[in-house]
Parts: sequence; structure tokens; C-alpha cells
Amino acid sequence: MSVVNHIREIRKKKGITQTKMAEDLQITRQTINAIEKHKYNPSLELALKLVRYFNVPIEEVFYLDESKEEKSK
Amino acid sequence: MKSRTLQIVLWVVILIGMSIGAFLGIYLIGRENGEFDLGLALACIGGGVLGFIIYLILAKLRGKRQGNIPEVDERSLQLMQKYFMWVLYFVLIISSAILIGLYVMGIEYVETGMLILYMLCLFMVLGLGALVTKRL
Repeated sequence: MSVVNHIREIRKKKGITQTKMAEDLQITRQTINAIEKHKYNPSLELALKLVRYFNVPIEEVFYLDESKEEKSK
Repeated sequence: MKSRTLQIVLWVVILIGMSIGAFLGIYLIGRENGEFDLGLALACIGGGVLGFIIYLILAKLRGKRQGNIPEVDERSLQLMQKYFMWVLYFVLIISSAILIGLYVMGIEYVETGMLILYMLCLFMVLGLGALVTKRL
């Protein structure tokens, strides 16, 4: 079961650049890129910061991919 | 402010360490040759200070280019942890293998100078690896 996020879509919809986001959240641009490409799952603290930053419900940003779990069963 | 203080402390420690290393080297060379070359000490300290100035200039340029983006965050720390975990195993295994290899070859004594050289190479490779890992 993997964690899926819609950070790239939400970020682009709000017209925010990776650099601006990195500056605001005090993280590196590489981390944002890794999260958007699903190569890195952020810590709970960073995930909550991201949710607060975008001002959207957490389910809209992160959710569990159930289909992958069914495939593995 | 906190990270700035930490950076200053780090640089002071590095410069003191370099000076101690330089004086130790001069003492060791002097003990061998019977002549203590203080010009070498000035070169070592001067090199350290010059390195610090170059670092300050680069940091200033980086600050202008990248703004307020931090150099490290939770992911880079996690990557460094993983890197050093692998380095620990790798260094232990490789060093043991080298020692066993030397023993099998019939070498029973190792010069301390060679050990210093080995440690120097090791630190250089590990430092470069850490730099690459930080940028991943």
C-alpha cells in the first residue's frame, strides 16, 4: 500500500513555484521534487505543514492507494 | 540565528583542528629532521583562513542565487543517516579484508605513516560521498 499525493497538481493550480514553496516551508527543492515524484514520503510534521500551507483537507493532498494493496493480496 | 552560531562554532573548531594538525605535523617533521619550520605553520593557518574567506564568498553568492532555501532538511538528514550506516559496514568490511589480505601476503607490520595515508584517503572519499549524498 503506497501513499499517493497530489502536491504537484495543487501547487500548479495555486501557481506556486518549487523554489517559493521551498523557501516558505524551509525545505530543499530536491525534497519537493522527490515528494511530487512519489520517491519520498514526508514526515508527519512536513505532511501537516504542507496541508496547512495549501489550506486544503489532508485527504485532498495525501491518500493511500488501495489498488496496490489488493494487487499484493 | 541558531544555525549561524552553529556555523561559526563549526568553523572555529575546523580552524583550531587544522592549526593543531599543522603544528603536530611540523613537530613530527622537526623531530625527524631536527629543524622546526614555522613558515609551514604560517602557510597552514593562512590556507585555513583563505579557505574560510572563499567559503564566505561562495555562501554569499549562493545566498543571492537561492534566497532563503536551506541547505539541509529532514530528507537530506535521512539520506546522510543511511549513507553513514552503509559507510560503517563498508569501511569495517573493507578494512578487515585489507588487513586479512596483508596478513595472508606475509606482511606482519604496518607503518603508522601508511595508516595515516589510509585514513586520509578514507576521509576524502567519505567526504566526497557525503557531499554527493547531500545533493541527491
